[in-house]
Amino acid sequence: MASVSDNFDPDPIVRQVLKGNKDHFRLIVREYGLLVRGYLAARVYHLEDAEDLAQDAFLVAFSKLSTYEIGTNFRAWLLTIAKFQLTNHWRKTSRRSNAMDRFRHDIAEAIQPELKKASDELDQERIGNLLGCIAKLPDRTRHLIRAGLDGVRMETLAEELNLKPNALYQLRHRAHQALRKCIEEESPAPVA
Amino acid sequence: MSDPHKDPDFLDLLAAWHENKDLSPSRKLALLERLEKDENLRMELAREIEMAGLTRAAQAGEPRWLELEEKLGSSAAIPLDFEREIMDRLEEKSGNSQPTSIFSFPNLVWIGLAAALAFAFINPFFQKQPESGVAKLIRLEGNHAFSSEKRILHKDEDFEIKEGLVEMAFNETGVHLIGTGPLNMTLLGNNRIFLNQGEVKLVVPPQGIGFVVDTLERKFVDLGTSFVVQASTSGSKVLVLDGEIAVGNRNDRGSRLMSKGSSADFDRNGSVSLRAAWPSGVPELPLPSMAVSEKSLTGKIFGIREGAFSAPAEKEALSKQSVVRQFLPLIRSGFKKSARFKTFAQGRPLRFAGIAGTYDHFPLRNSLAPYSVERGWMTWYSGEAKPLTSGRYRFWGYADNHLLVAIDRQPVFEGSRYTSPFRDELKVPRKNHPLFPCLNAKAGFASGRWFEVGEEPVRIDLLFGETSMTMTSGLLLIERDGAEYEKTYWGQPKWPLFLTEFPDEKQLVELEELRIHMEEKIMGSFSLSENSVWSVFSGS
Repeated sequence: MASVSDNFDPDPIVRQVLKGNKDHFRLIVREYGLLVRGYLAARVYHLEDAEDLAQDAFLVAFSKLSTYEIGTNFRAWLLTIAKFQLTNHWRKTSRRSNAMDRFRHDIAEAIQPELKKASDELDQERIGNLLGCIAKLPDRTRHLIRAGLDGVRMETLAEELNLKPNALYQLRHRAHQALRKCIEEESPAPVA
Repeated sequence: MSDPHKDPDFLDLLAAWHENKDLSPSRKLALLERLEKDENLRMELAREIEMAGLTRAAQAGEPRWLELEEKLGSSAAIPLDFEREIMDRLEEKSGNSQPTSIFSFPNLVWIGLAAALAFAFINPFFQKQPESGVAKLIRLEGNHAFSSEKRILHKDEDFEIKEGLVEMAFNETGVHLIGTGPLNMTLLGNNRIFLNQGEVKLVVPPQGIGFVVDTLERKFVDLGTSFVVQASTSGSKVLVLDGEIAVGNRNDRGSRLMSKGSSADFDRNGSVSLRAAWPSGVPELPLPSMAVSEKSLTGKIFGIREGAFSAPAEKEALSKQSVVRQFLPLIRSGFKKSARFKTFAQGRPLRFAGIAGTYDHFPLRNSLAPYSVERGWMTWYSGEAKPLTSGRYRFWGYADNHLLVAIDRQPVFEGSRYTSPFRDELKVPRKNHPLFPCLNAKAGFASGRWFEVGEEPVRIDLLFGETSMTMTSGLLLIERDGAEYEKTYWGQPKWPLFLTEFPDEKQLVELEELRIHMEEKIMGSFSLSENSVWSVFSGS
């Protein structure tokens, strides 16, 4: 897992891979891994599905690398592939999805342009700061951010933290706002 | 949308998105209509969703994409980031642009030096460290070349002992390090070491948060905790005793958080083996013989009868109906008001055999069925007993979820998990010891107040149980004031398990296995001593 680092230029690596040094593709995976996984994790309910789709996206990118035009926007090219994988996933799962899945899908459809804008807003060169920023959150907030990943449901967490579920959503939203700000700053301040 | 935090539509959309909250069709329609009309709401929701996805992915750690790895063929099978980092630094100096394997170096010590060199370039702390000592040697045991006279350790200093034990404290950060030989490390600063070989345990106070242990495979960043790192030629291992650490690649990217009880192995081929601890960190022992004798402290296990409350209950109501809450009046009455338990589900009579290990199957194995599993269970042992030696005593231990001991009807020890009403509502004085290993309680191992026991037996009431469902564990030890106890390597006195009958041979073997497991896996321990067994004079 990685983030897109400062001044990272994928083109020389793409050339190396196209020359047959396929091992160099690992550098692409490392640099863009978090970007693609985050993009998919935002749009897919189960994290495991997002991880599988991310792998698929990189597999496709590897096999279609020759179609990437050197000098153009590699990130956008890669995210297009990820989006294609996502669309396929939604199409395949739509038949067995329940009412809530369909509602989530409706929400995603309704805010598609805004999702792209929100993704573009994130300074991709700085998302590697994210874990450091999470570490700076107060214990309770960090626990909240972590809880979803550990499969702890909001109701359980609400009971544990003695908060109402809506208060947890508010807290998490504020934490996400703070994280977004933090990853864009050199010396992020702890979140109150 | 003026303030999204107070907008019920926004909160419902988040609940639906994050938690699949069930909403009525009309509510869903209303939300979609609002989304269509409100651009600000759409944008705020999109930002929230993007950030949530990114934090999920970042915290999930590095995935193992086997299919992709297969496609790319076998790599150099080394931590690429580390190699690249080191090679980049060396290439900057040599002008050599061809990557080569790190294993072509004559030996791994070279790598350690290179790593130290690399971190000297990339670590801002490194450049800011004063030239004065960064750590003070507190203790040095064993035969080794390193002079014990040398009390101050300096930045960049290589520290090596072939055997024995070293204890040091880092200036400014206050980080406490205990290491065992063979140990080879470099002190990179007040807040960073490079561990080439050996095992170190670190206890990091709040001002030391961010302390970094580098190994060849990974870097471990403390987030306010106690943890153990081991490095050897085959890789590195980490065990988080308390709190949380971030485990990252060597390039400050791609970290994942590990919390208390987790351990992980990182081998030099780049593979990672992460292991969450058992919920309790300790195994469940087979049930000892339940044949009660006159010497036994006896008890019963209680649960709420199925159907006693109308179902299904909301969480809050369920919590109020849990069996543990039914014991609060009993404790407050000095263990006198016990009439209510006649109507409870009860298992077979119990013989007290200590509290040690996991108790997930305990209720069913003691015939507590049928009972309302979601409302938990509670064991209550009581009787008169006294120790072999009169004097001042206190209990040590912890439980997930509830543990309370009363002497002569007054609680003297409460070692429950933080969510227990025993803890919240009874306010029994307890002291938490976060530096002692304890996987279940954030506060760590707890101790109770001292109490005096003379020649006469005292009445003991002991409660141990579960809030809801399973995942129950506990440990209850007893200390006599003035007695000497052997200490574990990590400094915990091996207080004896509180027992009222010495275990039979079979149970001794099982307890010994549990003790070894605890020492190896969670750095905790206890002892078994016939002298510490309390004699029972009457059962409940």
